[in-house]
Amino acid sequence: MDNFTALLDGFATVLHPTYLLWALFGVFVGTAVGVLPGIGPAMTIALLLPLTYSLEPTAAIIVFAGIYYGGMYGGSTTSILLNTPGESASIVTAIEGNKMARAGRGAAALATAAIGSFVAGSLATVALTFLAPVIARWAVQLGEPDYFALMVVAFITVGALLGSSVPRGLAALSLGLFLGLVGTDTLTGQQRFTFGVPNLADGIDVVVVAVGLFAVGEALYVGSRMRHGPVRVIPVEKGWRTWMKRDDWRRSWKPWLRGAAIGFPVGTIPAGGADVATFLSYASEKRLAGTERRKEFGKGAIEGVAGPEAANNAAASGVLVPLLTLGLPTTATAAIIIVAFQSYGIQPGPLLLQSESALVWALIASLYIGNIMLVVLNLPLVGMWVRVLRIPRHYLYAGILLFGALGSYALNFSPVDVLLLVLVGLAGFFMRRYGYPVAPLVVGMILGPMAEDRLRRSLAISQGDLSYLVTSPFAATAYVAIVVLLALGVWLRRRERAAA
Amino acid sequence: MRADDAAPEAPIAPGGPTAEGGPPPSDGPGPTAAGPPRRRWGELVLAAATAALGGYVLVAAGGITVPGSANTLGPRAFPYLVGAMLVVAGLALVVLVLTGRAGEEEGGEDVDPTVRTDWLTVVLLVVTLVVHVFAINVVGWPFAAAILFGGSAVVLGARPWWRAALVGLVLGLVVQVIFGGLLGLSLPAGPLLEGVPFLRG
Repeated sequence: MDNFTALLDGFATVLHPTYLLWALFGVFVGTAVGVLPGIGPAMTIALLLPLTYSLEPTAAIIVFAGIYYGGMYGGSTTSILLNTPGESASIVTAIEGNKMARAGRGAAALATAAIGSFVAGSLATVALTFLAPVIARWAVQLGEPDYFALMVVAFITVGALLGSSVPRGLAALSLGLFLGLVGTDTLTGQQRFTFGVPNLADGIDVVVVAVGLFAVGEALYVGSRMRHGPVRVIPVEKGWRTWMKRDDWRRSWKPWLRGAAIGFPVGTIPAGGADVATFLSYASEKRLAGTERRKEFGKGAIEGVAGPEAANNAAASGVLVPLLTLGLPTTATAAIIIVAFQSYGIQPGPLLLQSESALVWALIASLYIGNIMLVVLNLPLVGMWVRVLRIPRHYLYAGILLFGALGSYALNFSPVDVLLLVLVGLAGFFMRRYGYPVAPLVVGMILGPMAEDRLRRSLAISQGDLSYLVTSPFAATAYVAIVVLLALGVWLRRRERAAA
Repeated sequence: MRADDAAPEAPIAPGGPTAEGGPPPSDGPGPTAAGPPRRRWGELVLAAATAALGGYVLVAAGGITVPGSANTLGPRAFPYLVGAMLVVAGLALVVLVLTGRAGEEEGGEDVDPTVRTDWLTVVLLVVTLVVHVFAINVVGWPFAAAILFGGSAVVLGARPWWRAALVGLVLGLVVQVIFGGLLGLSLPAGPLLEGVPFLRG
């Protein structure tokens, strides 16, 4: 009950008119940027971070929650109305949604995605509300070796396992770890890999790396092989009230619930986040459909939009559980959220719910509110998002470069950061070109220093006895779990291929 | 697929690492299939560079000073591990590329898989970005932003150029007003607009 009153307090904060306006602003901007083609949720957050730099923490976190959900949601519009999918979490939506749009049922696809996202997002936020305090209370008892074990799990699942090429994932992860090493060692104060450059003594800013890899790298890569000619957006019929027919509702509500049930747990465990959840949901919808319906899959089955979109949003909330309670980022998006929180002076971890209780509950309350705003905003505003999709590509990518440069410059108001951004962007370009995944690099850069810190503290406690790392029951379980996860990962990847 | 479908006149800047190595690509595989061997060299360079960086990390890690009071695991241990991982991953990738298993390049909404790489665009975009970096402190942020936006839009195909430049200028000033004036980021307005109060961060 204690948490319930805390949540009510959170609502009381968020329902203040000023904060409601901030939330609306965040949702709106997040969706608008998320809708833009080529921009996934991670890039949306990285690009929009400078908006929140100068706000006070509560306002910043409310705007931020809106951006997160808005960015997650915006991708589905893009994949339904454009010919080719962008971010991986939307690929599945594109399979069926795009077919539906071409068959003149784009409005139904958009509506089931929007309402499904709302239903699943709300359910998952409720789950987050109940689960987060429990996990935080339990996490306080974890020791240093336990945290190190958790991070090893995150490294393995996020870094190398779930990409299409394990060595490339490993290379990207190691590059991220290397970038994380640059700077002053926290425990001994020694400079590492700073090349005597004073700017590097504080380490390389993760925002610069994230924006460089996602925004600049993407702009350079698209520029190198741009699709010329007019943008083909599939038109949507007017009058959103009649979009979902009775039959559509009947076929959608179960996939929504199943999507929520699949998405939330998958988001919670470090297993690849939203992408895996959408593929799993799609595969199960396909299997559960009767023989009649199964023939529709691949030609525009509404279940194939409703389920994965619900799973996508539920996973987005699930990701927040390990993030808020353990300080553990399980996706690239989560890694950038950690950076954002740190820039507001908040350190996610088991003590966060106690030390910054008001702020956390305000965040959770604004997730509820953001969800409602999304569904209210998005159905009537679809016409506007369609217009956003038609922005000429040269202006779109010029704008991405501009805001990426702004975000890096605004960190320290030093042009050196922008120069670093260009270098990282070039690296991102070559990584994209040769199929190196970008996400493990960002995750490695965040997790690396955390893991090193935990490992060295553990060994300082045990005075160098390595067995201390595995003797605690939790750590031992975690290492066993890694083996299980590795097997599961291989299985998931097979499923993914089968579904795609 | 992409190599032979591309327009034969596709402009390619000289000096790019797109050396046409290996046999001509066979037709057949869809755009998502592993690339034909034509990009091997660039990819080989990237893989080798990864391994080389690992080698450097391993060597340089030995140069990190370890304070006398340090306990078992000092500041060198993790760099050694990271260096080793880079070497292993880099060498594995070199082997993969040499045995013909090249990377799958990334797709995207605005990426045309049938077009050849336009190196000139990439170079010009990077040049525009670098000019932007050095322009910030000289002409102020709004104008540097106009250079970046206008320049990259024209490079990406915006015509006529003056419209892109105009859009860039307006965008730069609007961002300056919103972020500098309203949100309080201290973006330098530059010598031209120094005295305008609502632009100051």
